[in-house]
Amino acid sequence: MTSQSPSSGTTPGTSTLTGGLSEKGLSAGSIGLLGATVIGISCIAPAYTLTASLGPTVAAVGTQMPGIFLVGFIPMLLVALGYRELNNAMPDAGTSFTWATRAFGPWLGWMGGWGLIVATVVVLSNLAGVAVDFFYLMLAQLFGNPGLADLTNNVIINVLTCLVFMVAAAYISYRGMETTKAVQYVLVAFQLIVLVWFSVAALTQVAEGTAFDAIALNADWFNPFLTPSFSAFAAGVSLSIFIFWGWDVTLTMNEETKNPKTTPGRAATLTVGIIFALYILVAVATLMFSGIGTGEFGLGNEEIQGNVFAALAGPVMGPFAILMSLAVLSSSAASLQSTFVGPARTMLSMGHYQAFPKRFASISPRYKSPAFATVMAGTVAWGFYAVMRVLSTDVLTDTILTLGMMICFYYGVTAFACVWYFRDSLRGPRAILLKLLAPLVGGVILLVIFATTLYDSMNPDYGSGSNIGGVGLVFILAMVLFIGGIVLMLVQRRVNPAFFQGKTLTKGSSTEHGHVK
Amino acid sequence: MTRVPNYVVAYEATERGNDTIELGVALARLTRSELRLCLVLPHHSSTVPARVGAVSSPDYQALLEAQSLEWLEQGLARVPADVVATTHLLYAESTTEGLLQAARTFDSDRIVVGASRRGLMNRFTIGSVANALLHSSPVPVALAPRGYQAPAQLTRITCAIGTRPGWRALLDSLLAFSEDLTVDLRFVTLVEVDAGRRHPTEESASQSHLAEVLEYFHSRSKAHGAISTEVASGHSVEAAVEALDWQPTEVAFVGSSRLAQPTTIFLGITAHRMLHALPVPLIVVPTGTDARKPH
Repeated sequence: MTSQSPSSGTTPGTSTLTGGLSEKGLSAGSIGLLGATVIGISCIAPAYTLTASLGPTVAAVGTQMPGIFLVGFIPMLLVALGYRELNNAMPDAGTSFTWATRAFGPWLGWMGGWGLIVATVVVLSNLAGVAVDFFYLMLAQLFGNPGLADLTNNVIINVLTCLVFMVAAAYISYRGMETTKAVQYVLVAFQLIVLVWFSVAALTQVAEGTAFDAIALNADWFNPFLTPSFSAFAAGVSLSIFIFWGWDVTLTMNEETKNPKTTPGRAATLTVGIIFALYILVAVATLMFSGIGTGEFGLGNEEIQGNVFAALAGPVMGPFAILMSLAVLSSSAASLQSTFVGPARTMLSMGHYQAFPKRFASISPRYKSPAFATVMAGTVAWGFYAVMRVLSTDVLTDTILTLGMMICFYYGVTAFACVWYFRDSLRGPRAILLKLLAPLVGGVILLVIFATTLYDSMNPDYGSGSNIGGVGLVFILAMVLFIGGIVLMLVQRRVNPAFFQGKTLTKGSSTEHGHVK
Repeated sequence: MTRVPNYVVAYEATERGNDTIELGVALARLTRSELRLCLVLPHHSSTVPARVGAVSSPDYQALLEAQSLEWLEQGLARVPADVVATTHLLYAESTTEGLLQAARTFDSDRIVVGASRRGLMNRFTIGSVANALLHSSPVPVALAPRGYQAPAQLTRITCAIGTRPGWRALLDSLLAFSEDLTVDLRFVTLVEVDAGRRHPTEESASQSHLAEVLEYFHSRSKAHGAISTEVASGHSVEAAVEALDWQPTEVAFVGSSRLAQPTTIFLGITAHRMLHALPVPLIVVPTGTDARKPH
């Protein structure tokens, strides 16, 4: 009558009850192709992603934007394939941090985890920044008072509003609340509808001759190799990785899908198909409507680059612009809350293996969520945002560029970890392709992009043009984040060397089966 | 396989979780039952639309599970040697769902939860899990007050009984519960009166109702202990509850509302208000319960 199944490796005497669930409590077979695709699109949050990335991408590659979006997907795809192999090999244990530690030892592993945390903390601050802009824009549209939209330019109001959003999102995440399936479907459908509406409205205005700075569609836009310089190309690809960030989630849904053999692959394909179509449509429509000049609504205007839809929704959609505000606000708010999960769990994991102070490993007994780590993620993200808001003339553009670098870094580390971890088990063409070639090529591309953008960002004109002592702010930011990481790593090494001596997590390869405690 | 009488104890590694263990222990001692300490984890999914959620989750889940097992060990250590307890880690959509699932799986007699969140003066306020259970459980739900300590022995059961249809079901449940137990029983009815005015008719109606209750109970009871009745009146349900004397070695029984589905609990308004003033554990019984026998 009782279906107690002793679960593997648990304390004797404790049964793990799972009912209709698999051992780990995943609701097996509950997600179909549509559901998985919705999750994929929801992770990418296209409305937020586009408003944050269109401007910086045009600044980097001009009209080559559609082509760059297409090639930018390639390194993401290659790394994700390798990542999936790691996930399949160690379904119960393993993240960027543990994999990198297993493959390369504690030092690079620590930096891999740090890269992920920094990237997610930076995106948190950018998400909150976009949400703040759209919040005041929406108020202005709602009350027909354009003055309200300007409140976002007041540094103190802006930073405090951001704090409110951050606290709310962190709290929801700490309580372990998740967006329900129905809400996800609605949010995704709404984003898609509004973005298509925006594109159609923009193209209609182009056809009617009322566009701001209409330029004719040119097939060359789709050729990424016409990008003026390799630096521009690298910056574009770095941004493209940001716009597809989150897509890899679809590939890692296994047990939960109705057919684990085919659903994740199909959902990943469908997701990227929809996202491609959407991005190309929006990119082309925006280019044709606005042009790349530096006029009021031109994509080259640094004033609007960090948050393009906030500026363009009005002229393009007229009275319906408020729908765009709602779409971006809802997508960035939902994303803000769910994004907390990433850095908080990674910090918790690092705390557990004593790579971070022990406090980070604390789990709330009531909500079963990483308590201290979530608070820290929120605090640091807000602090980062506040400092950036004061230092930078265009905080959003600069954070997105920094973010692109950080994603390249931790994806790259993960890709090489995959290659190294599987070095002894490359049997058959499939293994060689997925465990060696894909992640290796993906990793090398990311490394090159990372090095190039890092070097270029020293130029004071890079990004928003903010600089300190003639050195580009984006470079300084990246350096502060990396060197800060190294310093913290050394401090932790001094305070508690266990992790760095390989006592908590050992190096190994797929055949050695190093022990993950 | 003979059924072992058992209680599902909703455990979490907090003061509230400790309260539930204490109440579980008290009830287990009284009815010679076993405890099933259950810790419910949200079943994790990659359906959280987080860009890096999936990348950071596997480690986290393993750590969460390890931590939960440690918590369960701590919980088990709080159970005294004279009570048998087992520990169980559950995954479910929600804590409530997990507890109901455990009660079904173990064929449990009751679910014990911590009721109080921030109740004033040792009184009840209902937490969300308890509240959800009170509206859906097919088995009786026992609510532990904040800071509850299990007495060596429970000496009295107070049954709050109304005149509405359904009181027999409550009595049947109490009969089953108290069978062969050495415990005093007290039947009370609560009468709400306007301040400053006497309501002799209502009170005498209550008295005669209690007499009927007593007769029904006496003719069937197999419990050993004194039986008493009492009518409590006050200007509100809360005041009526406070007018009664309550012992630290006592638990209260109450039936669920007529609004409930035949076999599930639905806490009525009166019972809900009672809770706010009650200083002892409360066991809420479904109206149409199949009167589980402790054997």
